[in-house]
Amino acid sequence: MNAAIQQLNNAFSLIAPEAVLLAAVCLIFFAAPFLVNERGEAPVGLRHRWGCLSLLALLLASCVWWQSPPVTRTLGPFVLDELTWYIRGLTLTFGAILVLLHWNQADDARSAESHACLLAILAGVNLIAASNDLVGLFVALELVSIPTYLFLLLPRRDAPAQEATLKYFLLSIFSSAIVLFGMSYLYGATGTTNLSGIHAAFSAASDHRANPLVAVATVMLIAGLGFRLTAVPFHFYAPDVFQGAPTSAAAMLSFVPKIAGFVALLRLMVPATGAEQAMNPWTMTPAAIPLLWWLAVATMFVGNLMALMQTDIRRLLAYSSVSHAGYMMVGLIVGMAHEHQKADVLATVSPNSVSGIGAMLFYLAVYGAMTLGTFAVLIAAARTDKRIESFDDLSGLSRTRPAMALLLAIFLFSLAGLPPTAGFLGKLNLFFAAWSQGTVEGQESYKWLAVILAINAALGAWYYLKIIGVMFLREPINRSQQDTVIETPSLIAAGLCLVGTLGLFFLPGWLWVPIQSIMP
Amino acid sequence: MPSLLVIMIFLPAIAAVALLLLDPQATAVRARWVALLATVATFLVSWGVAAQFLALPQVSETARGPVHPQLVQRHTWLDLSQAGPHSPGVKLEFFLGLDGISLSLVLLTTILTISSVLVSWTAIKDRAAQFYACLLILETGLIGVFCSFDILLFYVFFEFTLIPLFFLVGIWGGPLRRYAAGKFFVYTLAGSLITLLGLVSLVVTTVQANPGLTTPFSIPDLANTLAEHPLTPTVQFTLFLMIAAGFMVKVPLFPFHTWLPLAHVEAPTAGSVLLAGVLLKLGTYGFLRMLLPMLPDACLHTGLPLIGAMASIGIIYGSFCALSQNDIKKLVAYSSVAHLGFCMLGLFALNIEGISGGVLQMINHGLSTGALFCIVGMFYERYHTRQLNELGGLATKLPLMGVAMVFTSFASIGLPGLNGFVGEFLCLAGMFRAGDGQGVIFSALGAMGVVLGAWYLLGVVQHAFFGPVHLPAEHHGPGHEPIADLNAREVAALAPLLGLCLILGLFPQPLLDLIRPDVEAVAKLYGNVRATNPNAFMHASLNNHASQKNLPSVALGSEVRP
Repeated sequence: MNAAIQQLNNAFSLIAPEAVLLAAVCLIFFAAPFLVNERGEAPVGLRHRWGCLSLLALLLASCVWWQSPPVTRTLGPFVLDELTWYIRGLTLTFGAILVLLHWNQADDARSAESHACLLAILAGVNLIAASNDLVGLFVALELVSIPTYLFLLLPRRDAPAQEATLKYFLLSIFSSAIVLFGMSYLYGATGTTNLSGIHAAFSAASDHRANPLVAVATVMLIAGLGFRLTAVPFHFYAPDVFQGAPTSAAAMLSFVPKIAGFVALLRLMVPATGAEQAMNPWTMTPAAIPLLWWLAVATMFVGNLMALMQTDIRRLLAYSSVSHAGYMMVGLIVGMAHEHQKADVLATVSPNSVSGIGAMLFYLAVYGAMTLGTFAVLIAAARTDKRIESFDDLSGLSRTRPAMALLLAIFLFSLAGLPPTAGFLGKLNLFFAAWSQGTVEGQESYKWLAVILAINAALGAWYYLKIIGVMFLREPINRSQQDTVIETPSLIAAGLCLVGTLGLFFLPGWLWVPIQSIMP
Repeated sequence: MPSLLVIMIFLPAIAAVALLLLDPQATAVRARWVALLATVATFLVSWGVAAQFLALPQVSETARGPVHPQLVQRHTWLDLSQAGPHSPGVKLEFFLGLDGISLSLVLLTTILTISSVLVSWTAIKDRAAQFYACLLILETGLIGVFCSFDILLFYVFFEFTLIPLFFLVGIWGGPLRRYAAGKFFVYTLAGSLITLLGLVSLVVTTVQANPGLTTPFSIPDLANTLAEHPLTPTVQFTLFLMIAAGFMVKVPLFPFHTWLPLAHVEAPTAGSVLLAGVLLKLGTYGFLRMLLPMLPDACLHTGLPLIGAMASIGIIYGSFCALSQNDIKKLVAYSSVAHLGFCMLGLFALNIEGISGGVLQMINHGLSTGALFCIVGMFYERYHTRQLNELGGLATKLPLMGVAMVFTSFASIGLPGLNGFVGEFLCLAGMFRAGDGQGVIFSALGAMGVVLGAWYLLGVVQHAFFGPVHLPAEHHGPGHEPIADLNAREVAALAPLLGLCLILGLFPQPLLDLIRPDVEAVAKLYGNVRATNPNAFMHASLNNHASQKNLPSVALGSEVRP
């Protein structure tokens, strides 16, 4: 008993940043009801205080994170390594941007709970990155999903928001059940829930026959986590939810669940210890790679082709986020294939290729900056009476609000992958990784992945360009200067994203160095 | 203190940012003066850079590889070898420099930008600050392409030029501008993404074969490595097709030219001038920089027949299309397809005459077609029509413009004594002796294009400028000034271009001397490739012999060659 408590105490130090965030969540949930009266009214401007408190909590967590040593430590259900460190940095940074985006989206009375939900979601993502146990992983995944339902519904309670939340809720619990199902098979195959134990069991397996249990588990896990990634065919909720949910919630959904999904897949499928399980059919990789290959191709094509047909900005961005999930899946697949190689092949390929997982993690950060930036501008450019929904709402934005139009154009060019933005380098790394992998004997299919990625990048450029065209090449439709609101927090967020989008182009080493240390 | 080269590249962009940030609502008057000042300053800086370049000592032939930039500026962009023990040992660089070919194209760019500011002087009234900012940013992109010697940096600038041009065409263009801008953008982007894939795979393949190469993205280093350890012909063939895809669209070679007439017709005059004058050269320059030195086998065995056929079809097809146009701007646009065909014929002759002719033709076409678009813009501003059947006898009303038009047409047709002749002659002469006989067919087809070129351009001159006076009503629309001949500003826009046409026509030698070392270094590779084939060896050595002795001195630097 004492040993267990001792172990928990030790483990606590591994998840200190999350503890800070969760403490802030408890504090907000506890304090908030006292500041709202019986009729559900709150003092004017209360939301600013909750926003500041959230930022403070994130800042505190960041301090703890920055102090934490980036050495690998594994303790019971938690693991601390470079990947954890990197993902924490990512969620804390983009969490602050999301808080800024959410600042004025919820009214004073409901602001507290929605901010708390956001913090809980961020803590959940961090815990996914830190988990070393199937149970811990599942709990962390649920810590992301359950507050998300509240976060979608709280700021706006009209019919579309309710519909969006309900759709998300039903599909989300469905996908959680599938993940749990997959995990149970994994447990059945290996006899442990500890991830290190599972990977050890894989590499210890001596008979070189594929294990059907593991294959079933792989399919289930990919299907369940594919929901978080918005991988086709698990993307159906995305456009409706993006359209109905508040803008800040859409921004959150476009990015945070993707981190969650990709990190969970990384934790499950790529062992932290590296290439010792090489060519062992007793792992999830042989089943996962062809499955993910087809999913990635379908995700890219469906995302881009459907986005071409949209006239609603949010639906378009939803499909765009689907397609970007496909791009990142390319990185994941290539990385997994790379890890799965025989050591001698590895030696010939490895020295000069970009790691696929590294490219994926780089793209994740870049994608966060550019997509959150896009949403930030959409929030900042809204009018008092109406948020930006259709293309017509953006029509002639370069006339009425030129700086805003320019910002949005930069983010969209980045999403399209044009220089001089970080989106270009992100796509380039993916190309580079996929092509290098494709030059290995017998792995030409990755070359095709690179080609398909290129085709999709061209398809994608068309609809981003359409938005830019609407802003710059059309005349404004009855927009007057008076009814614009000044959204300082969103503007700050957009500015930060701009720094990320342009800065990572000129100084990519700043992000690339920590990423490279992640890969074994 | 950054070097003059860096200042030259970024000066226009800084001016553009200043224009946008300091005074976004600037009046057209202020914006155009700022733009003129910035472009003239850039032009002067570019001459300073040229002086620096010319003052450098000659590099001996043995000390240089196929690509040898000077005035080099290298800064690490992303060093993957420092990132960790498991990261690849390659690095990307901000690698800027100049060689003779790129210097001449940079000078062309800075001159043409001044002209395009001057021709937009009164035509652009709406959102003038943004217009000139786009123009200046475009100039930075264009100069950047010619100065970058890192593959990725080259590609970055190459792609970046799309953005300002998209806005130039899309905002200030003609009635179909939105469609034209979108088509132009997506068409060229799709092509250049394939090029990017090709470049990435070129780098990956080379590095895997030569693990010692730590700067595979640097064009000179890559070219040196590939000159010593060439890739196998099959690999070269695939890479050639991939890398060439984007450049073929950009040049544009038949049948990838369909975006061009549309974009040209819809673009504002300044956009057309830069599009024809410099942007199309990015494609030919890409061939010259990326493919000719890197993949000699593929260029010789695939490129010569393939590109030669596409170019000669382009010449004939473009000329016939031009003949049948009623819209003069569209006619000039199709003539670009034909002229760029000559340029490609020259480059893929793969010998000294051909390549120098190709480079010369790039400059010539920039000057003469740039001037043609300026003139078209000028009478469009006056009469609001470009239709051949609505214009006649312009020269009687506007004698100066008539003179300019006749002069430019002659330059474009290739009348001896003007620049077009030298370029076209060298291209065709180079092609004639290339490719074991097939070159004869290509250059014969090309020569037909010269005749057709005279036909359609002189047709315009005859129809619109001479013949019975037949012009639209003078008083159309309120607030329109009475129609007068070219004013001082318009003369200032045209005079440098026409003057250079004449100078390059009479004295092409200095320019040929400037580019010769770089052209020779590339052409030398093909001497080697041919020499490996014993049957072709005699042929090649005969060719070299002939090129040193028998060609007219007006056209070639052969007499002063040591």
